[in-house]
Amino acid sequence: MSQNHMITRQEAEDFLYYEAELLDDWRLLEWKELYTDDSSYEVASTDCEDPFNADPARSLFVLADKKSRIDARAVRLMKRAAHCEYPHSKTRHLYTNVRIAGTRGKETRVRANVVVYRTGNDKTTNFMGEMRYVLVREGTDIRIKSKRIALDLNSLNDAGQMTIII
Amino acid sequence: MNTKAIQESLIEVDKDCRTFRINREAYYSQEVFEMEKALIFDKCWLYLGHRSEIPNKGDFLTRTVMGRNLIFQHSRKGELVAFYNTCTHRGAAVCWDRKGNSKVHSCRYHGWVYDTEGKLKSMNTETGYPEDINADGHLDLPRVRVEEYGGLNFVNFNDNAISLYDFLGEQVRDLLDSINAQSAEEMIILPGEHAYSINANYKFLIENSADGYHLGPVHQTYLEFLADKYSGTKESGVFAKMANFQEKGGAYAMGNGHFLLSSNVPTGRPVGYWIEEWGPDIKKEIGANRQRLTDQLGQERADYICDMQKNSVIFPNLVINDILALTIRVIEPVSPIAMKVNAWCLAPKEESDELKEIRLDNFVSFLGPSGFGSPDDGSMLNSAQKSITACPTEWTELSKGMQGVDDLRVASGMTDDETHMQGYWTQWDMLMRGAVSLEQQI
Ligand code: FES
Ligand SMILES: [Fe+2]
Repeated sequence: MSQNHMITRQEAEDFLYYEAELLDDWRLLEWKELYTDDSSYEVASTDCEDPFNADPARSLFVLADKKSRIDARAVRLMKRAAHCEYPHSKTRHLYTNVRIAGTRGKETRVRANVVVYRTGNDKTTNFMGEMRYVLVREGTDIRIKSKRIALDLNSLNDAGQMTIII
Repeated sequence: MNTKAIQESLIEVDKDCRTFRINREAYYSQEVFEMEKALIFDKCWLYLGHRSEIPNKGDFLTRTVMGRNLIFQHSRKGELVAFYNTCTHRGAAVCWDRKGNSKVHSCRYHGWVYDTEGKLKSMNTETGYPEDINADGHLDLPRVRVEEYGGLNFVNFNDNAISLYDFLGEQVRDLLDSINAQSAEEMIILPGEHAYSINANYKFLIENSADGYHLGPVHQTYLEFLADKYSGTKESGVFAKMANFQEKGGAYAMGNGHFLLSSNVPTGRPVGYWIEEWGPDIKKEIGANRQRLTDQLGQERADYICDMQKNSVIFPNLVINDILALTIRVIEPVSPIAMKVNAWCLAPKEESDELKEIRLDNFVSFLGPSGFGSPDDGSMLNSAQKSITACPTEWTELSKGMQGVDDLRVASGMTDDETHMQGYWTQWDMLMRGAVSLEQQI
């Protein structure tokens, strides 16, 4: 039964590479469609001691979006008046070390490493860390139920702010 | 330390023509920056941390204030104290943790041990030192003066400085009281910190942090986000009320360079301003808190605490945003053209989990390095910093709402005026010229 829902590592990789492509191409309106209606996209604070178990309802995150704000973020960042990303940064999302961390019912947990190079104006900075996804199969599509990122940073001082999507 | 005050003012004030100008060197000159460090940051009370971050005896955290590595310590005697995090032996940091609880700090280099009062307890040897070598206490960890108002702890690197109480003055104390009143018990810092940076002079962010003028242009996409979010709900009408934004409140210089923007932006406020999106349970909780405040402090004060959005700056570098969330933001200049920012979320200790969730969600929706607001502010500052440096325009025009009053440090204007910032700059200029003293007169 769960066989049908299982997502293989290769499928997960292909899917993550597609997400990275949408982000690098600034196709954010397509990107937001990868997320389920009850999804979340979160980045833990850089001082968080347990970033994959911390709760954004109890502690301050860098970013904690539910689906409605995932959509709003995508829409906002595509506007000329989103000054912090006007003009859009050049980004390169490297999603690597993808592995399946477990399955439960319809959900497949995926872990991956991430490095993003971002150039805005004349400055280039990096974001690096670990990503943990819960992916689900919806019909023939794979979609994201949750994505949480723990940055390997002690602050965003080198990066400035985090205006792009990781 | 002996940096002499400048003779010439970097601001140009014409009370008859109602103009207030700042020489742009103030935003990029290395020389000005060195003077600021000596004449402002070494003289003023600077935010260190909140009592709730080190609630128990032995609790400590390490924090940098103007490049100085400090230990903020709840001593075993029960006092909140601070000392430099450097061994009096040969200089290693005695504490390498961000925070913790311990009876002593042991230096990793040669094993000297200090207690939570900073007193040297052991030199980890039996030989080689005269027994009374520390009779005068010179080998204890050097203490920094700490004073507290309403849970907020500040340090001062000038032992002769006036008290924190006097430095804040009546209006800031009143503002802090209005924040602490939000809890029937006590206000606490929630876990999690924002730590980021902006490549711009720190004063650009000071101005921006309580600037009512920029809301429309800079935060257009945020306002559109709210309008979308509430379209079709009862709250959509709320945005019609944006017109009221200027009818209540104002821009207030609060004395000693502190300033406040008080306004009426209808985003909802966890303390006492409910919006429909939050549901009936939250309505009950917020209503009860509002009632408590009304009973205790009267209608007018309760309305002020619950309804008014308050963006304030405590001179020279602390921002308290009491808006859709309650935030403490410290701005630390690291060079004339760069700053570090640290921010935390403040909340009533007894708040329900549901309202806390709303508070935190509000915080990150607008503020911080990935909010829908702060990053756009940051790009204005970056942009200004880059543009002004190599440009013949000598002056920044900060004249909006200029009042012809004698002391601009206590003037007030409309919500979208720059009157309150003129108060900041006037104090800044007076300190830079030695025209005002923050020292006790002996
Ligand atoms: S430097 Fe600390 S014991 Fe020597
Ligand atoms: Fe702003």
